[in-house]
Amino acid sequence: MFAHLIQDPAAVKNYIENPASGKAVETDYFGQLTSLASTFDHVDNLFYFTYAVCIFFFVLITGVLAWTVVVHRRKTYDQPAASNTTHNTPLEVVWTVVPLIIVMVMFAWGFKGSLDMMTVPADARMYKASAKQWNWTFSYPNSVAQSYGELWLEVDKPAAFLLESTDVLHAFFMPSQRIKRDIVPGRYQTVWCQPTVLGEFHLFCAEYCGDDHSKMYAKVHVVSAEEYAKKPWDVWKDDTPANQIASAQKLYSALCSSCHTVNGTQLVGPSWTGLFVKDASGKIVGGQREVHVGGAAGPKQTITVDDAYIIESIKLPEAKKVVGFEAAAMTAFDLPENKVKGLIAYMMSLADSK
Amino acid sequence: MSTNVPAVDLHAAPTGERPKNYLNCTTSFMSWAGTLDHKRIGLMYLVGVSIAFLCGGVFALLVRIHLWEPHGMLFSNSGYNQLFTLHGAFMVFLFVIPAIPASLGNMVLPLMLGAKDVALPRLNLLSFYLWVGGAAFATYSIAAGGFDTGWTFYTPYSLYTNKAVVSIGLGIFLLGFSSIFTGLNFIVTTHKLRAPGMTWFRMPLFIWALYATAILQVLATPVLGITVLLVAFERLYHIGIFDPRLGGDPVLFEHFFWFYSHPAVYIMVLPAFGIISEMVSVHSRKPLFGYKLIAFSSLAIAVISFLVWGHHMFTSGQSTYAMFAFSFLTFFVAIPTAIKQFSWVATVWKGSIALNSPMLYTLAFLIIFAIGGLTGIILGALNVDIHLHDTYFVVAHFHYVMMGSIALAFFAGLHHWWPKMFGIMYNETLAKIAAVTIFIGFNATFVPQFIMGSQGMPRRYATYVPEYAPYHQASTIGAIILGSGVALMVFYLLASLFTGKKAMVNQWGGVTLDWHTPTPPPLENFETPPVVTHEVYDYSTLDVETTRTPLR
Repeated sequence: MFAHLIQDPAAVKNYIENPASGKAVETDYFGQLTSLASTFDHVDNLFYFTYAVCIFFFVLITGVLAWTVVVHRRKTYDQPAASNTTHNTPLEVVWTVVPLIIVMVMFAWGFKGSLDMMTVPADARMYKASAKQWNWTFSYPNSVAQSYGELWLEVDKPAAFLLESTDVLHAFFMPSQRIKRDIVPGRYQTVWCQPTVLGEFHLFCAEYCGDDHSKMYAKVHVVSAEEYAKKPWDVWKDDTPANQIASAQKLYSALCSSCHTVNGTQLVGPSWTGLFVKDASGKIVGGQREVHVGGAAGPKQTITVDDAYIIESIKLPEAKKVVGFEAAAMTAFDLPENKVKGLIAYMMSLADSK
Repeated sequence: MSTNVPAVDLHAAPTGERPKNYLNCTTSFMSWAGTLDHKRIGLMYLVGVSIAFLCGGVFALLVRIHLWEPHGMLFSNSGYNQLFTLHGAFMVFLFVIPAIPASLGNMVLPLMLGAKDVALPRLNLLSFYLWVGGAAFATYSIAAGGFDTGWTFYTPYSLYTNKAVVSIGLGIFLLGFSSIFTGLNFIVTTHKLRAPGMTWFRMPLFIWALYATAILQVLATPVLGITVLLVAFERLYHIGIFDPRLGGDPVLFEHFFWFYSHPAVYIMVLPAFGIISEMVSVHSRKPLFGYKLIAFSSLAIAVISFLVWGHHMFTSGQSTYAMFAFSFLTFFVAIPTAIKQFSWVATVWKGSIALNSPMLYTLAFLIIFAIGGLTGIILGALNVDIHLHDTYFVVAHFHYVMMGSIALAFFAGLHHWWPKMFGIMYNETLAKIAAVTIFIGFNATFVPQFIMGSQGMPRRYATYVPEYAPYHQASTIGAIILGSGVALMVFYLLASLFTGKKAMVNQWGGVTLDWHTPTPPPLENFETPPVVTHEVYDYSTLDVETTRTPLR
């Protein structure tokens, strides 16, 4: 009954073989925050100002406590208190007014900073980030290609993101840029940043979104203007049969691999091996699958896998559910036609491996 | 009106054979299960919330052990998500919210007021059984497939997931009524049943805190009840309130949820403040510094806490004006809290400071709550919160308040009133060792979480990028130390019931009315109705010798 809660060794193997890591977190001078790679330095400044104030009050409180506990420890059972003062009006006014002034400074500073973070500059490039369980798709201004689980930004150039979700809440979180914004299905949200450091950075989903929330990851490449002009995301293009399969393989890693393996082990969803097989003459043909037609409760039927079945399963996962995976809830993917074709070609290429 | 019939006939003529105390006056099962005595109900609550706490603690340890490795050690992702949800839901709804008011508060509030019982004893018993019902639903939900929404139940995920969300929702609905009834009872009791001479400003501060809490419980909890019912209706009948596919708004759910759950933070923490106010006074043998300011700051917090819920949603896309107001009020609520902290320290200052186990837990509270409160200020700043929101920094911050402050205040109160409740004293040496172990373990668990949170580690992750591994491992080691401290505490407290020595007549030298009854108290608390003639915390009236007189 609880077997599905226990970790599957196949998932660990899959995780180790497909690590989600970009580069190691480099910390700033004080070792507390991730090193800043954006123009939002007011976040770090206010963080450290508040931090210093906190340390001051913490040392004050614990210092006073420690001193009095040591000195005025009760040594005999009938020892009375050394002082019975219950009021000191000047002191009470001071410890009400001084913290009030300090927190009002923090409030104003923080509010000003957040206005900066909410005001998208006019010259910002507008990207689109589509979130769904559990992956990211990015679209670029003036470019047809989309990238999956990978994003390229130009250094020192403001980048704004139009955020959309097609299923549940997600959040767009780039620690190195200090930005985060919840992505609410049914609404568009906007967030912006200006990367200042070349390198590879993390993009996390920060709002809990279901089973593979922790694997909803994208790697952000911040590149120079020359590099950016070459449109590095074109590696996701699939204009020739050869790079069609290579591109589909990348797509598989980004979108599909957290639920489907290509080596026969079963994760949340069925493995892709056996979708297509080779017949006696070596020709690739569709394999057999037992499915529920019309949803998990529907009648069982054995079908022969073909392009139509694959396309349907990507766009309408509930239409035919594989027997044994009734509980798995796959989200629908609205992929461009050439991407779907590429994935089918990739699935067919797996027929060789068996 | 004859609704508040007490447990026994108050007007019965006194006979020679009075029952000895509330524990042994009657012994049948029904005399406990059907009791109207606030102390027995408090004791049953104590057993219940302690079991919930230990379950939640085991879930927490499993979570921490799982996170030893970046790819996770024990559970599937789905299994992990259910586990952290269980940890949160058990700790918040079954332990932290009811723990202090319903167990220690129930036990002590009528004693401190000089009353025979709470004003509405039957409602008190009903409140307990609603808690049991809620706990039963929560346990049933585990068997019925678990729930994996996080304790926050954010829509639309909680509408789409194929888990037992409806049954846990009904459990929370029942627990909400349990909480409302306790609050209602305390308000009425405080207004109506104060002993002669007990003016409002002679009430112990624990009563003030419970009173402020009760106002929040009665006003805020219905919103939670309505919200979980709407989620249940949405799941069952697809009415389209929160589901964007049906034209609903997920952010509306967040507003409803935090409109309860932020005041709920103060429902949890105000009683803890009350206990600490008692502890610093008794164990320093000194009147509280700034009594009235502490009392009014409880009420101020109760009022302002209704107006800051939006600070849980700074990244949800609220309007600029909403952000402005919520951030401002969040900083503002820090002030009454700071006043309390300073007043406690000033109370301890130059007292006669007894380093017994309740005081060790209290000192641990003062240090931990300083960190918990101060890191809250870091999170109140709008631009900084955008970076830290939903990371382990937030996790560490609220554990410093929920676990490090509230649970430790609960432990302080438990150790303080344990000899009062049972007439038995636990092993003080073991208690001190446990207090220090818990303090060390707690900090070792959550300091690394502050660091990795500010470096960007998101919360609720079953797996994580490998560079956070050292912090996770340090945190796991801390959790094991913390867990062993708690295990030791459970051991010596239970052991004391079987082998413990008799407590003193007035174990700590308290002067509030709860120490003016026999120990353990008789069924109706006071042999003669008390009349209050002194200010509260007037230690000049203390007969110090009673602190060294063992019970017969």
